Amino acid sequence: MASTTVESGAAGHGAEPRGKRSEDGQATYLIAVAEALWEEMERDERVIMLGEDIGVYGGAFKVTEGFLERFGPDRVMDTPIAEETIVGFAVGAAMEGWRPIAEFQYSDFMSSGFDEITTVLSRYHYRSGVRTPVVLRAPSGGGVRASSFHSVNPEPWFAYAGGIKIMCPAFPSDAKGLLKSAIRDDNPSLFLEHKALYRRIKEHVSEDPAALIPISSAAVKRPGDDVTIVTYGAMVHKALEAADTLAGRGISAEVVDLRTVYPIDEETVIRSIEKTSRALVLYESFHFLGIGAEVASVIAEKAFEHLDAPVMRLAPPNHPVPFSPPLEDAFLPQVADIEAAVDRLSAW
Amino acid sequence: MRSDATANDRPLPDERLRDMLYMLKLARFVDERLEALYRQGRLPGAIYSGRGQEGTHVGTVFALEPRDSLFPTHRDLTAQLAKGLDLNRVLAQFWGRIDGYLRGRDGNSHIGDWDGNRTYAVMSHLPIAYPVAVGAAWAYQRAGDGRVALAICGDGATSNGRWHEAINWSAVQRLPVIWVVNNNQFAYSTPNEKEFAVPTIAERAAAYGIPGVRVDGADVLEVFAAARDAVERARGGGGPSLIESVSLRWRGHAGHDPAKYVPTELLEHYMRSKDPVKNFEERLRDLGIVDDAAIAEMQARVEQAFEEAHAYALASPFPEPGDVDKGVWAEDGYWTSEPGRGGGTEAG
Amino acid sequence: MTSIQMPQLGETIVEGTILKWLKSEGDQVKADEPLFEISTDKVDTEVPSPVAGTVTKLLVAEGATVPVGTAVMEIDDGSGAGGNGASAPASAPTAAPAQPATPAAEAPAPAEPAQPTPQPQQPAPARTTAAPSTMPDRGPRSGILSPIVRKLARERGIDLATIAGTGDGGRITKADVLAATAAPPAAGTTVTPLPSVGPAAAAVMVAAPSMPAGQGEEAQPISHIRKAIATHMLASTQQTARAWTMVEVNVDRLVHLREESKEKFQANFGVKLTYLPMVTRATIDALQQFPLVNSRLDGETIVTPRFVNMGIAVSYDAGLIVPVVKGADGMNTVGIARAIADLAARARSHQLQPDEVQGATFTITNPGPYGSLLSVPIINQPNAGILSLDGIQKRPVVVEDDAIAVRSMVYISMSWDHRLIDGELATRFLARVKHNLETWDFAEDLGL
Repeated sequence: MASTTVESGAAGHGAEPRGKRSEDGQATYLIAVAEALWEEMERDERVIMLGEDIGVYGGAFKVTEGFLERFGPDRVMDTPIAEETIVGFAVGAAMEGWRPIAEFQYSDFMSSGFDEITTVLSRYHYRSGVRTPVVLRAPSGGGVRASSFHSVNPEPWFAYAGGIKIMCPAFPSDAKGLLKSAIRDDNPSLFLEHKALYRRIKEHVSEDPAALIPISSAAVKRPGDDVTIVTYGAMVHKALEAADTLAGRGISAEVVDLRTVYPIDEETVIRSIEKTSRALVLYESFHFLGIGAEVASVIAEKAFEHLDAPVMRLAPPNHPVPFSPPLEDAFLPQVADIEAAVDRLSAW
Repeated sequence: MRSDATANDRPLPDERLRDMLYMLKLARFVDERLEALYRQGRLPGAIYSGRGQEGTHVGTVFALEPRDSLFPTHRDLTAQLAKGLDLNRVLAQFWGRIDGYLRGRDGNSHIGDWDGNRTYAVMSHLPIAYPVAVGAAWAYQRAGDGRVALAICGDGATSNGRWHEAINWSAVQRLPVIWVVNNNQFAYSTPNEKEFAVPTIAERAAAYGIPGVRVDGADVLEVFAAARDAVERARGGGGPSLIESVSLRWRGHAGHDPAKYVPTELLEHYMRSKDPVKNFEERLRDLGIVDDAAIAEMQARVEQAFEEAHAYALASPFPEPGDVDKGVWAEDGYWTSEPGRGGGTEAG
Repeated sequence: MTSIQMPQLGETIVEGTILKWLKSEGDQVKADEPLFEISTDKVDTEVPSPVAGTVTKLLVAEGATVPVGTAVMEIDDGSGAGGNGASAPASAPTAAPAQPATPAAEAPAPAEPAQPTPQPQQPAPARTTAAPSTMPDRGPRSGILSPIVRKLARERGIDLATIAGTGDGGRITKADVLAATAAPPAAGTTVTPLPSVGPAAAAVMVAAPSMPAGQGEEAQPISHIRKAIATHMLASTQQTARAWTMVEVNVDRLVHLREESKEKFQANFGVKLTYLPMVTRATIDALQQFPLVNSRLDGETIVTPRFVNMGIAVSYDAGLIVPVVKGADGMNTVGIARAIADLAARARSHQLQPDEVQGATFTITNPGPYGSLLSVPIINQPNAGILSLDGIQKRPVVVEDDAIAVRSMVYISMSWDHRLIDGELATRFLARVKHNLETWDFAEDLGL
């Protein structure tokens, strides 16, 4: 087939994600993801991508627009609607030396490939020592009125499996650096991109193709002294907004962004609790058994001596994400809910 | 559709044919001895007998080269032995010893040797390895080096969604893979007529646009001929094929299962006239390729191989209990270093 | 409705006894008016009302002993829903140890903190329904000490009983502990109450054979105080290696001084001048010269305070009590005299605060006024010694040039713990006391 060669690395060429930064050079979360994929595809010929509608269509969210033209159908594959085989394929190819990135159109559809993910991908290395450097990536999370089949936070399902590193970045620069790290890591990874953040936030993101964010490293996104809010994903931004309001009330909240939700960076979390002695764990995965339940447990066990109040959690309940806007807003923690929780925690 | 390969009595050099017979006899002996040890309570874990199906296992694998890959199930131990796995290390796995292929992380016929003999480590879900075979086959197509993948499953697995996904995908991409169905007529206790509504599995291949053949699993050369055709087709870029090899499961699904659901007359008929090992021995005798002395010598070698392997397994120590949590992540180095040889041995 | 609970007077106290109801059901009561008398191991005292209203229920019988925190009375104060004894939020003033009488602000009208005054006849107005402003609110969380609070207290050597909690329900929070360490000590001495040696000091009361009252005999259960004294005395006898030394002191000059100036002293200072303050002053000096006598044994560690809290044994109707002049090393004789007078008076009127009977580093007992010549006191644990000032008598003694004259003489002796002190030291200590009493000119120190 015809192949158009595009000069890579040069900004301004329409097919390349980097050309899609804003005029002042900022990248949205989505463009940051695209840049990571593009740079890693250029850097290592063994990196391949597969998924439904990622080639010709450029991806349901247009993350992979331009990739087929640049890298060809051998490396950017449109697949049948067969999630089990998408994952299995990635494993088989990885076992033969490739570094596949398999996309799920929505994280909700990962459950269609549940067996291959939890039985094959997460276990193969432990059982046999054969490496399966597969990256699964998907748009994830709610708050966009997409209802229960397009809004799930699947990270607890797969954290439970135990052999997959799971990342949920909240900022564009973290998204780019973490995805690059995941692609270069020899272990299976799950990279969840919060769809509510795709186009809503942007920032200056490194243009250095060698700039990485380490996996399993949390970051303090806002320092504070009175209360720690441990969180990840879209909730980080709500926490920051709440922290601004709380500061006006004289409560100084520190916001810790986990960035990687399995395995978590316990040390950064505990260091924060040592400072503030009060913890609110805020998470969008469901309350019971969601990621925050584990974080709360770690704090209670390993930072017990530093606590001045019980560890509190704020998360949606374990039922489907509803559609109607007032219902979904009541379902997800809002900024006011975060403020109220911090107030309760401070008054304890 | 039956292959007419039986018209060619000597599809292989004599030496190779004798190797085939040795493998058949070894497989039968291993199966019988393991069952006896299991019944004596001297074999830990479970056994999944392949007795009566050796024709399928040996016939298909003998059509492969060492560089090709095999994706078997729990019942296909014979196929793994035929592919080249070391009986010593196979039995060490049965007894959970460190020198087993999977360092005690899995047991009995849930075995594989990817780095050495290119066999996928068996998993219980059916047919969970089929999607992985798709990925491996793609890798061979991509490399253009002529390698093929051969995947075996049972008649019951053909009801599972993955079977269809994988075969369909392989057909769409014309991948170099051979899909073998070991139709031993019973999926645990479920006979064919309750598993699918068509008379044969082979005719279902047409639904995917690939060729399908049905062969008599009691005739190892018939199986071999069909497999060789399919392998040549795949190597030449002709895409996937389906082979349905019909036999009977002589023993229960697993060691504990008395298989009373198998009609007695059917079993007696197969044991009398459709024993692939006995049939092939007679065939080679008729052709003058073996005589009594050769058979006796072969049998002696078989028995000695088993006894040595049994002793090897019992002499191998258990894995180090403290290593139980190692090897999840590639970076901890467990699988790239010599393992700890831990807690003693124990007579079997 | 306000619920009145058995207060905790002293950090080791776990129960109290209602000695006497001062109000009956149906009685009107004003804020701060005494409701009942209680007895604990340490002290007997009255409990005043935090609210004005009508007594609706007495929940416990006179003579009953109940755990701290038990509801004992209900008062209808028109507040509606049930409250605790401290109905105001627990923004209690912090209790610096040197201000033991600072009350909790639990009354609807916040009470003014009352200072202990030198005049013994002015009662300290605030009696708390809880330990001295340490747990002003008996809300559900007031007793919770969070892990970080415990950790900081341990690391910084803070007695949590001295901190008021500003957290929910009166809970001591991390911020409270940090604030307490940051604040300078309150005016006055920085004294840390010594751990009390209560009944928990494992005194083994060996069971004597039982001999109940028979004909012609009366029987009466022993009081809390008597029981506490008994236990303390027995423990002291069993745990210390008690030895005893005596000196004879010529107090002629002191007797003359006192005769001359007692009226003027009384007029100036409102306090009777006795020999006890002078002997105390002389003893403090000796303790400073021989600090080991001021020390205590803690396990295998000798703890030597750099201050002197002088315990003064006071005999009163309930038995014996030993109030403590805190920081006596910083007082002159007048100050000591006032302090002793005040403590003794309040002891006899059952108005001592719990921390006024804790923390002595040395003790003096003065049976002399009652007529004794010589006494062998029991050591007030955990002190190293107890000094006895017995009766002054005119005796013929040998004076200069081997002449015989009549002089006022007194035997001053000390029971001392041979685990800590040896005979030579004990003797030299007493010799110093004697020297001070025989050579000092107290007139100046008495402000005369």
